[in-house]
Amino acid sequence: MIGQVQTDARERPLEFRDRRDNLAILGFWFFLGSDVVLFSCLFAVYAVFQGRVAAGPTPRQLISLGPVLVETVALLTSSFTCGLAIAAMRRGRTGPLAAWLGVTMLLGAGFVGMEIHEFATDVRLFGTWHQSGFLSAFFTLVGTHGGHVSFGVLWGAALLVLLWRQGLTPRVARRLYTFSLYWHFLDIVWVFIFTVVYLAGKIT
Amino acid sequence: MPHARKTERGLLSLGGLLLLPRFEHSSGPWPQIVGYALSLLLTLAATLLVVHHLIAPLYLPAVILFLAVLQAGIQLGLFMHLREGVGPSWQIVALVLAGIVALGIVIFSIWIMAFKSGVS
Amino acid sequence: MTHLLAQLFPPSVLRPMELGADASIVIATVAIAAFLTRKRRWGWLWREWLTTVDHKKIGIMYLIAAMLGLFRGGVDALLLRTQLAVPQNTFLGAEHYNEIFTTHGTIMVFFMAMPFIFALFNIAIPLMIGARDVAFPRLNAISFWLFAFAFLLFNMSFVVGGSPNAGWTAYAPLTELRFNPSVGENYYLLALQISGIGTIATGINFLVTILRLRAPGMTLMRMPLFAWSALITSSLIIFAFPALTVALALTMLDRLFGSSFFTIGHAGMPMMYVNLFWIWGHPEVYILVLPAFGIFSEVVATFSGKALFGYPAMVGSMIAISLLSYGVWVHHFFTMGAGAAVNAFFGISTMLIAIPTGVKVFNWIFTMWGGRVRTTCAMLWQLAFIPTFVIGGATGVMLAVVPGDYQFHNSYFLVAHFHNVLIGGVVFGLFSGLYYWWPKMFGYTLNERQGKWAFWFFLIGFWVTFFPQYLLGLEGMTRRIYIYPHGLGWSLPNLVSTGGAYAMGVGFVILVYSIAYSARHKDLDLTGDPWDGRTLEWSMPSPAPEYNFAVLPKVSTRDAWWTMKQAGRTSIRLGEIEPITLPKNTGMPFLLGLSFFVAGLGAVFSWWPVALAGLGGVLALLVWGWFVETGDHVIPAHEVRRSETLPGRLEA
Repeated sequence: MIGQVQTDARERPLEFRDRRDNLAILGFWFFLGSDVVLFSCLFAVYAVFQGRVAAGPTPRQLISLGPVLVETVALLTSSFTCGLAIAAMRRGRTGPLAAWLGVTMLLGAGFVGMEIHEFATDVRLFGTWHQSGFLSAFFTLVGTHGGHVSFGVLWGAALLVLLWRQGLTPRVARRLYTFSLYWHFLDIVWVFIFTVVYLAGKIT
Repeated sequence: MPHARKTERGLLSLGGLLLLPRFEHSSGPWPQIVGYALSLLLTLAATLLVVHHLIAPLYLPAVILFLAVLQAGIQLGLFMHLREGVGPSWQIVALVLAGIVALGIVIFSIWIMAFKSGVS
Repeated sequence: MTHLLAQLFPPSVLRPMELGADASIVIATVAIAAFLTRKRRWGWLWREWLTTVDHKKIGIMYLIAAMLGLFRGGVDALLLRTQLAVPQNTFLGAEHYNEIFTTHGTIMVFFMAMPFIFALFNIAIPLMIGARDVAFPRLNAISFWLFAFAFLLFNMSFVVGGSPNAGWTAYAPLTELRFNPSVGENYYLLALQISGIGTIATGINFLVTILRLRAPGMTLMRMPLFAWSALITSSLIIFAFPALTVALALTMLDRLFGSSFFTIGHAGMPMMYVNLFWIWGHPEVYILVLPAFGIFSEVVATFSGKALFGYPAMVGSMIAISLLSYGVWVHHFFTMGAGAAVNAFFGISTMLIAIPTGVKVFNWIFTMWGGRVRTTCAMLWQLAFIPTFVIGGATGVMLAVVPGDYQFHNSYFLVAHFHNVLIGGVVFGLFSGLYYWWPKMFGYTLNERQGKWAFWFFLIGFWVTFFPQYLLGLEGMTRRIYIYPHGLGWSLPNLVSTGGAYAMGVGFVILVYSIAYSARHKDLDLTGDPWDGRTLEWSMPSPAPEYNFAVLPKVSTRDAWWTMKQAGRTSIRLGEIEPITLPKNTGMPFLLGLSFFVAGLGAVFSWWPVALAGLGGVLALLVWGWFVETGDHVIPAHEVRRSETLPGRLEA
C-alpha cells in the first residue's frame, strides 16, 4: 500500500479518519517543530557554557557513563515498546496496546527515577548548580528533557485510563498517536543529549 | 491563474516522494524491531568509540554527532511514520525548517559567543 | 503580617500617581460591575463572551485588550515625554522613570501589537480563506485567555509589589536578584512566559487553519496576501518564540532557583541572555510587521480598485524576509564586541532585508498606479505608511552599518528609528485594518470624518515626536536617561518631541471618541460589502454570522469575491443551505487562564503552595478536557436562511 494516495476515509488508520483528528496530528507536528527550537536554544546555551566551570566540576569530572548508559537503554527500549503499542493499535488489538503502553510508562518512570538519582548524586558530590554556569546549563538542558519525560509519563498514564474508559475510538487513537510522536521525539532529543553532553564530555 | 496552479503542483511533485500522503500498513512489528536493534547498535558504537579512543579526538565529536543524526533519522522514519497524513505532508517542511533554525541557533551562538572572530 | 504587607505594597506602589491609578481602576471596576448587575448581564457575559470559541468574538476580545494596552502604553509614553520636556525636570524620579519605560515597551510589544495582530488574524483569516472556523477553536480560546490573564498579571505589578524596571529587553545582570530584589521582574518573566505559551498555540492554530482549511479551489497562490502574511508570521512565531521562552526561563531560574547563568562570579555569561533574547527579538520584529504588510496589500488593492501588482513577488519577498530575519539578530548588539567577522556577517545580512522590503514598497505603489484611489481612512493610513516606513527602513540600514552603529547605538537615533518602523509600519497598518474590517466585525462603518481628524493628529504628531529624536540622537542624547542639563542643545528638540507626543495622544482620544460615536450613530452596512471588496470576507453579511459561510465558496481565481461579482455569481441558492455544525462554548479556556494566573502570581511572590495549586488546576483542566468532550451544536437551515436574506443574496 505504501506510496498510494488514499482518499477513502475508511481505508485510513483509525486516528486519521476524522477531519478534526487529522488537523490535530498536523498541529502536533508543528508543536514538535517548535520544541526542536526550544531544545536547540538549550543546546546552544550548553555549548557556550560547557567550559565555564568556575570552582565547580568540569564535564569530565561530573559525568560517569555507566548509569547514563542504563538510562539510555531504558529510554530506547521505551521508544521501541511505544512503537509496538502503536503497531498493536493499528491492528485494533486493545489488549497488547494497553500492555505495551504500560511497559513504556514503566520504562519512562524508571528513566526519570534514575535521572533524579543521578542528579542527587551530582549535587551531593559537586554541589548545586549555583556553583557554575556549566552546572546551570547542564542541569537545565538535561532537566528540561527529564521534565518532558515526566510530563509524558503522566500523559501516558492518563491515556491508559482514557483507553480503559472509552475504548479505542478514533479520538482516543489520535491521542495515543500524538502521544507516540511526543515519546519518540523525546528519544531523539535524548540521543543528542547523550552524544553532546555525556559522550562528548568524556572526550579529552 | 493556470500559472499559479502549475507552480504549486510543480512544488508538490518536486518533493514528490516526500509530500505525497501515505499510510503504513505493516503486517508485523518488524520495522520497530529493526529500528530498535539499529538504535542500540548505534548507541553502542558511539559509546565504544569514545570509551576506547578509537578515533582521534579531533574527529570524534563529528563522528558521534553523525551517528546521532542517523539515529534520529531511524526514529523519524521507522517509529514516527513521518510521511503519514491526509493532504500534503507539511510536517516535513516544518521539521526541515525547524532543523535549519535549530542548527543556525547553535552554530551562530557558538560563533558569536566565542568573541574571537576577526581582530578583536 | 507586616512583612507580607511590605512585600505587597512597597513604597514604589504608594506614590501619589500609583494611588491615583489605583483609585481610577477601582472606580472603573465598580462602575462596570454595577452596570452588569443592573442590566442583568453577568450571565450574558459568561455565555456569550467569556466561554466563546467563535474566532470572531475572540478577535473582538483581543481588540479590546489591544486598545486597553494602547491606552496604558500610551499613558506611559506621555509620562516619559512629560519628564523629558524640559531640562532638569523633577516630574518623575529616576526609579519611577525606569519603571515606566520598561512597562511602556513591554506593553506596546506584547500587550498592544501582538493582541492587535491576533485580533485581525482571528477576525479576518478564516473569512478570507473560506473556512467555517479555525482549526482548533478551543485552543484558540485558550490562547486568548492565557494572553488575557498574562496581561492582567503584568498590569498588577504597579498596583501590588512594584513594576519591573530593567527595560523591555530585561538584560541580565540588571535583572539578577542581587541587583534587582523587588518582585517587579518576576511579574515580567511570568507574564511573558504565560502569554508566550498562548502565542505559540496561536501560531500552530493559524498554520494548520491556513494550510488545511482553505475553501475548495483556493490554492496557496490564490490566497489573499493577508492570509499569506498570517501563514508566514505563524511559522515565524513557532520557530522564534521558543528562544524567548528559554531566555526568560534562564533568568527566572537565576532569580527564583539560584542557578548561575548570568552571574559572572560563577562563570555565568550575561551576554548569552542578550543573544537568546534577540534570536527571538529580530524575528519578532517581522512577526509584528508582516501582518501589517498583509493588511496594506489588501487595503491598497481594494481602494485602488485593482488587483495587487506583482502578487508572486509579494509572496516571494515575504518568504525571503522571513528567512533572512533569522540571520540578522546580532545587529541589536554589534557593540558587544563579538568581532569584525561576526559583525560584518550580520551587518550584511541585515542590509539584504532592505531588498525584498523595497520590492514590496514598489509593488504597493504600482498597485495604485493607474488605479482609482479612494482616500478612505483605511487607505489614508496606507498612504502615510509608505513614506514613513521607507524613512524608518533607511535609518535602519544606517544602523546596520557596523562602524556607524558604534556611534548610533543606544542613542535617540535608535529610538527614533524603531518607533519609525513600529509605529509607521505596525501601528499604521493595524489602524488601517481596524477601519477596513470594522464593518465585518460590528455591522457598521466607523465615522470617516472623525477618523480623518484622528489620522491627521496622529500622523503629524508622530513626525513632530520622532523627527527631533533623530537629531537628539545625533547630538549625543542616549536612550533611557531621565534627566539632562541645560545648554546641550537638547532642550528645544525635546520640548517639540513632547508636544508631538501629546498630539498623538489627542489622535488616540479622537479615535476612541469616534468609536463610541459610531456605535451610537450607526452607519449600518447592509450589503456586507461596504468597500467594494475583492476577497471572500465581503461575500457574507455584516457582521459576519456565527457560521461564516452559508455555503462554502468555490474558488477559481485570486481575488475570488471580485471574480464572483464580475461574473454575477454572488447569490446563494436556497436549496444549497444545510444545517451547520459548530463547536459548543466551554468555560475550560477561561478557567485554564485563571489557573495559570494563580500559578504565575504564586511564582512571582515565591508562594510555592499557591503556585503548585495553580499548576494543579492547569493539569486537572487539561485532563478534564480529554475525558469530557464539549460537543457540537447545530444551526438549523432555516436560521441560516433568515440571516442570509438581509443582504438580498438569496435566490430560490
